[in-house]
Amino acid sequence: MSISQTKEGQVCRVKGLNGDNRFLSRITSVGLTPGSRVEIIRNKGKYPLLVFARDTMLAINRKEAGNIFVEVIA
Amino acid sequence: MSGSVATVERELSIGLMGQPNTGKSTLFNALTGSRQHVGNWPGKTVEKKEGRFSQGRHSYRLVDLPGTYSLSANSEEEVITRQHIAGEDIHVVAALVDASQLERSLFLLADYAGINRPVVVLLNMVDVAKDQGKSIDAAALSARLGVPVFPVVASRKQGLEPLYDLLDTADFSDCALSDSPLAGEYRKGFGEVFEKLEDILAKMDFGAYTSAWVAVKLLEGDGEALALVKSKAAEVDLRKIESLLDGIKDGMLTSADCKFRWIESLVKAAAYITGKKAGLGRFDRMATSPVLGKLLALGFILGGLALSMVIGFSLMGVVGAVQEPLIGGVRTLLISINTAPFLISIVCDAVLTSVFFALMMAAFVFSTVLVFGFMEEVGYMARISYVFDNLMQKLGLHGKAIMPFLVSFGCNMGGITGTRVIDSWKQRLLAIATSWVIPCAGTWGVIGMMGSLFFGANAVWVVLSLFLAAGLHMILTAKVFGRKLVSPEDKNGLIMELPPYHKPNWKSLLRFVWLRTKDMLTRAMRIVVLITVAFWLLSWSPDGLLSSSIIYKVGTAIEPFTMIFGLNWQLFMAFIVAAMGKEAALGAIAALFAAPDAAANLFSMAFGGGAVGANAGVALLSALTVPQALAFMFAFFFNIPCFMAVACTATETHSAKWTLKIVGYYVGVALLISGVVYHISSLLF
Repeated sequence: MSISQTKEGQVCRVKGLNGDNRFLSRITSVGLTPGSRVEIIRNKGKYPLLVFARDTMLAINRKEAGNIFVEVIA
Repeated sequence: MSGSVATVERELSIGLMGQPNTGKSTLFNALTGSRQHVGNWPGKTVEKKEGRFSQGRHSYRLVDLPGTYSLSANSEEEVITRQHIAGEDIHVVAALVDASQLERSLFLLADYAGINRPVVVLLNMVDVAKDQGKSIDAAALSARLGVPVFPVVASRKQGLEPLYDLLDTADFSDCALSDSPLAGEYRKGFGEVFEKLEDILAKMDFGAYTSAWVAVKLLEGDGEALALVKSKAAEVDLRKIESLLDGIKDGMLTSADCKFRWIESLVKAAAYITGKKAGLGRFDRMATSPVLGKLLALGFILGGLALSMVIGFSLMGVVGAVQEPLIGGVRTLLISINTAPFLISIVCDAVLTSVFFALMMAAFVFSTVLVFGFMEEVGYMARISYVFDNLMQKLGLHGKAIMPFLVSFGCNMGGITGTRVIDSWKQRLLAIATSWVIPCAGTWGVIGMMGSLFFGANAVWVVLSLFLAAGLHMILTAKVFGRKLVSPEDKNGLIMELPPYHKPNWKSLLRFVWLRTKDMLTRAMRIVVLITVAFWLLSWSPDGLLSSSIIYKVGTAIEPFTMIFGLNWQLFMAFIVAAMGKEAALGAIAALFAAPDAAANLFSMAFGGGAVGANAGVALLSALTVPQALAFMFAFFFNIPCFMAVACTATETHSAKWTLKIVGYYVGVALLISGVVYHISSLLF
């Protein structure tokens, strides 16, 4: 499932990332790589998601979030 | 050049590298102070900051490399950074790493490994990390990396002595970051493809880049690296390389995974403990909520604007209190030594008056930068950007642009200087160009008075149509400039870091504010004095009559042309005068509409202040038709903010070319709008 389908408070593991090289470069350089642990902090309505990974709070647009696939682990 | 010893006579160049929010600018300002030069990288739309500092016996050149998260070739910033690291221009790189976000901020260093240039790691914000209960064994990290690691607090210039000592010796033989542990990870991650590539590439010379570095860039799909290889490789090798790369999918992901594996091993060795508390603090829960967060941001911005006005006006009061006695004193002095009246007037009325005008405006800019610099420094500005990003994205603008826009309602210069909170030069220029539409407080004063004079209660409709036109103007302007500035592939959706809140460091904040204000003031002063003196000369006449001034002659000569836009010569001159300061428009109109044979000096009526209101009203009503008044109001409203704002724009963008483009665009659009308004309203009234 995509990260935008998660619920606030869930902890996920990144399963895969889709998109062009530019997007992949950007998202991995801020710490989201396959296998990394992500906490969903805010996920409401049309607003960008807030997630916490590798000690970093990240805001991710909904469109981009649709290309980040995760599994819930807690 | 790696490991070489620079001669003592040669000035060393140090490159400052780091991800955004690692305190790079803070350290740069702390080290160089006012000895810095800001411009753009040659031929690039990325800002270049360079400065000097002295330590011990030597002076050093410090180059602030653009803040990037990695060294791929996906943005101008990244390409500039990696080309300059690999070039001959920089002798040693100081890589800033955020101790409170160690894992993520080491990623840039992982991308550096494989560029054979000496590097020193500055482990910044160790104080913040300690507050969060994170501790790092710098010695162990240094042993693992094979390069020096110095814990520092950049904002307080703490912990820099070991760096100074190292620079003093100019011996960087212990600063070679080896790529072999990381290459080991690549070998595991990519398998034999990586080894085969490395073997082929090992035969070629890539300057500072190792074959492992080039190999992994090829696997990541890096266009620049491929072009580099193509320029070096024999036909046979190139075909082999291409067939090896053919089967690669998601090389970027594998590569990033390898880098983080390496980083994780480093972090483990450095006994780093990841922070326990994720989640948002109570304040951040409000600050990032869709509705409440927006209200909070608006509250903070408007509160900040009010506060900076209070500070600004108090400073202005101080400047104003000095102004009259000083100018009066100079005048008395000049008279006492029998100076020609012409010269006395030019010095006192034009030069000194404009210097004080610039000083007063600088007071406002100073306070705006202080208040909003504070919000940036503590980390709140990123939250504002987050809540407004959706809205601003529709205009193709950065979320942070909301702040300069709102500040512009007070004063456009504050707004323009405020765009500094936007990192990207292109986005900053776009925000500045768009913010010029926003009418400042001075504009409203004039519009209010003219509106009520001509339309009474119906002025509301004029104001509403001005608002509507302003809204359309902004959308159009953002589109026009956005298309030129931001290429489609730049339009990556928001992926932004919300940095943790920091305690403000007043010393470093004040240093920043002082540098900005001084920069703006010196440039604005020159432009404003020049323009004021020119205008004084044009409006001067030997007999004191308006009709014998150059302005009158030029204005009446070009009237047939300006009437296309509905502006007779007086209104057209008032339109130009208002660009020197919106508040000057009413005085200028009063002077211009006085009988041509009356002794009226346009200059002193526009800038001398005093009681012009009532007289101006009577003169206006009798002289102007409704379509003319409307045409002028629109032309005036949409003209460039003022020459001080133009000077600010030149300072912030450090591009005369772009500043002139924006000026030309605004004057053109203002006249176009006034022409349309004039001809349509001529049919109605």
